[in-house]
Amino acid sequence: MTTPRRAWLEALVGALDGGHDLVVAGLGANARYLPHLGVRAPHFALCDSMGAGIPLGLGMALGRPDRRVIVLEGDGSLLMNLGTLATVGAARPDNLVVTVFENARYESSGGQALPEVRADFVAIARAVAFPVAERLAQAGELPPALARGWASGGPALLALPTAFDPGESIPPYSERPAEIRLNFARALGP
Amino acid sequence: MAGPTPIEREGARRIVAALEQAGVMLVATVPDTWIGWLMEEIRKSRRLRVIDVVSEEEAIAIACGAALVGTRAAVVIQNAGLLNSGAVIASLVHLYTIPCFLLVSYRGDERDPVYYHAPKGRVTEPTLTAWGIRHARARGREGIAAQIRQGFDWIEETRAPFALLFSAEDLA
Repeated sequence: MTTPRRAWLEALVGALDGGHDLVVAGLGANARYLPHLGVRAPHFALCDSMGAGIPLGLGMALGRPDRRVIVLEGDGSLLMNLGTLATVGAARPDNLVVTVFENARYESSGGQALPEVRADFVAIARAVAFPVAERLAQAGELPPALARGWASGGPALLALPTAFDPGESIPPYSERPAEIRLNFARALGP
Repeated sequence: MAGPTPIEREGARRIVAALEQAGVMLVATVPDTWIGWLMEEIRKSRRLRVIDVVSEEEAIAIACGAALVGTRAAVVIQNAGLLNSGAVIASLVHLYTIPCFLLVSYRGDERDPVYYHAPKGRVTEPTLTAWGIRHARARGREGIAAQIRQGFDWIEETRAPFALLFSAEDLA
């Protein structure tokens, strides 16, 4: 069972705590949607740098233990940097939740299929000491899963099976990198 | 093969002190032999948190994330790993103009006794230049603390990366 990306994103945005949460989106559809969702928390979108979303979020989580960091990553992007889950598991931040949008496609580059093997990110996360690693089915499950992640005392990974719709009208990148950085800094404050 | 272990670690201790004085909180690292000697000293610090990572690109992204939330971080990697990191340097550090301090073990320069490092030693500085990364060779235990201090000042004034290349003798 898969859920439309937009439904996952709206559920996630609705669950954010604007005073505590920071959002990092890996490159692609999530980063392109982010400016159009009315996100109330500081958010940083990658236009490029495939695979860097999770370590970028880890750096934020370690640098600001008083904030909670949510990373939005794609399955193709995570496969490019799969070892980062081991790094996160070893660092054990209690303020980092990784969401993985699974559609088995390189959506940004035209929807090409990922290598034909099913990487079970939930099993991998559990194997590298994430106390919470779950695959969800519906958008309504996301807010309580996030709450379980924050309460777990360690990092969490939530796999989100996502519908691939080649006709989906994903907005283009609407902010330049300098704007993204400055807007993030302004929203974060001193 | 790594060459002789430096008996004295005064240079390494000065690096630790300089990182602490620069207000560094996080050190993201992938080991090599020389870095292993340095990290033994860094891990003794009560002010530096070491993040052991599995790839150098990751270390750079972690340092960028820390910088974006106002926390100083250092990346400690070998030049082989730096050479792997062109994409993240171009598409994250340069694209978003994020200050990034790189402390790089310089394998394969004329001071390195290990023959198989020589090819990457030959391409390291030309690559850094091509990638637009300001860099300097460490000036031994007497100069390295000042170079670290100046490096952090420079990356934050310019919002750019800086690589300080060190050899085993700089740790002694």
